[in-house]
Amino acid sequence: MMTGMERFGALMGGRTPDRVPIVCNLLDQGARELGLSIREYYARGEHVAEGQLRMREKYGYDTLAGMFYSALEAEVLGCRNIIYADDGPPNVGHLVINGPRDIKSLHVPDELNEHPRFRELTSCIGILKKEAQGRFPVLGVVTASFSLPAMLMGVGPWMELFINGDSALRDSLLETCSLFCSRQIAALREAGADLIVYVDPLASATFIQLRKFRELALPWIIRDLEAHGPAGVIFFNGGGRINPILADIREHVGIGAYYLNPYDDITEARTLLGPHSLIAGTINDIRLLDWSPDEIEHEVEKIMLAGKRAGGFIFGTLLMPCGIPEENIRALVAAAIRHGNHAEAEAYR
Amino acid sequence: MSEGIDKQILDSYLTALFDTDKAGALRIVQEALDGGLTPEQVVFEVIIPGMERMIGGMISDNLVTLSQHFLASQIAEEVTDRLIPLFATVPEVRGHVVIGTSHGDFHGLGKKIVIGCLKARMFQVTDLGINVAPEKFVEQALAVGAEVIAISSMMVHTATGERGPKRVRQMLREQGLEDRLRIIVGGAPYRFHENLYIEVGADAWGDTAAQAPEIVTRLVREVRP
Repeated sequence: MMTGMERFGALMGGRTPDRVPIVCNLLDQGARELGLSIREYYARGEHVAEGQLRMREKYGYDTLAGMFYSALEAEVLGCRNIIYADDGPPNVGHLVINGPRDIKSLHVPDELNEHPRFRELTSCIGILKKEAQGRFPVLGVVTASFSLPAMLMGVGPWMELFINGDSALRDSLLETCSLFCSRQIAALREAGADLIVYVDPLASATFIQLRKFRELALPWIIRDLEAHGPAGVIFFNGGGRINPILADIREHVGIGAYYLNPYDDITEARTLLGPHSLIAGTINDIRLLDWSPDEIEHEVEKIMLAGKRAGGFIFGTLLMPCGIPEENIRALVAAAIRHGNHAEAEAYR
Repeated sequence: MSEGIDKQILDSYLTALFDTDKAGALRIVQEALDGGLTPEQVVFEVIIPGMERMIGGMISDNLVTLSQHFLASQIAEEVTDRLIPLFATVPEVRGHVVIGTSHGDFHGLGKKIVIGCLKARMFQVTDLGINVAPEKFVEQALAVGAEVIAISSMMVHTATGERGPKRVRQMLREQGLEDRLRIIVGGAPYRFHENLYIEVGADAWGDTAAQAPEIVTRLVREVRP
């Protein structure tokens, strides 16, 4: 049996692993695992690392998530208030940018690890890397420069700025966010992240038209990854549909792996990307809140069937809500293991 | 003004909306007014059809993006607010809605789009903002005499949590208000799970902002004496 790292390695080398690798994005659930509140859990990198290691061990998927919550990026850039919930991800409670002056004064620390929250994150990644012992890839996660302003100033004001606002101000903000993005990639890599999940919801076809994507978002994806290069980067949909933009990213940025939205068609993605890119197909994990194990089995089988036909396939979830019962997570992973394995899937049928 | 010219205005307006060209859209509105269209004609023959074709008409093809929704609704709200005072007769208010995002939810975009759609359709809307406590939804609905409480959630835990729509439903039940007030919900989690609205105690949900006026009209009818 291969390890998670070997499965990813095989796929990236153009070979077929023993089964489809499984990415199960359980984040806040780690707090429950450790009997901590979400605030206590995220206070320390070692807690998050322990939570991630326990959950991977318990459910048996193939990756370790070196991520806290998206709003941590806003904290590093000056957000002074994070709102903690009992049953969901922490949220931005203070907008860093409330006007043009704030854009001009936005500052990216030269050394991100000087920020205590970022230091906890990289310490978590370091622990995961050490404990994984090369068996499971550690994922580092960054928000793309084009999407980050939504967390700093709110989605509406950011849309107003990039659609019809002052283009010099917009570009100034994007330059700062891009610098932050590339510094984060470097720091997460240095801490031990094997793969970088690059999250760009506002560039998705759910948010902007293809023409606007080419004009406004694509140049910044290129810019964000200029220093690091596209190797080991996974383009993550962030909740929006990305099939319409896949070919452009493949051609102009050269990213080799794409994490689709549940509503993106896997077969179509393969046609758009050509034979060599990896595709992660995702399940609609909000439905895992109340689907029965049989319904989960059926849905996973459908996705795996399309994925195995497409080839170069990874099975994934979006960010799984806290309310998903444990038995459904187990049913999901068990079904993914069963249907991701060619020989055993046939036997099960 | 002839129908042909109206169609030309509407087509140009739609093109500006599709291009997310706000300045262009507002210029077309102004030119229509300068050219002799009445404020009523601009609102009912340009702004509302523009918004509805933009937001509703092409959604099934997945061709319309959130940025286009946002712009169409924003212009509809701005222009309607500006032109209603210029109407020859005061338009009939079709209902009153209090709207906000659920407790713990700081995502205001969806709510903003819905407000534009409702205002353009002559609903009175009281915007309670983001991160709204369930008590405030009920208190404000009673204070302004609303018929409908609209709750937007972008995250699963703020949609299904105990301080979200469920608590609003519980309060309506405890205070004997269920025959006076209806709850509508919307936002990303509901789009991934079509029965979630029932679980959180809502009377209805809207898949898109364009559906809001029709659904709210039905809800208002249910509670109006």
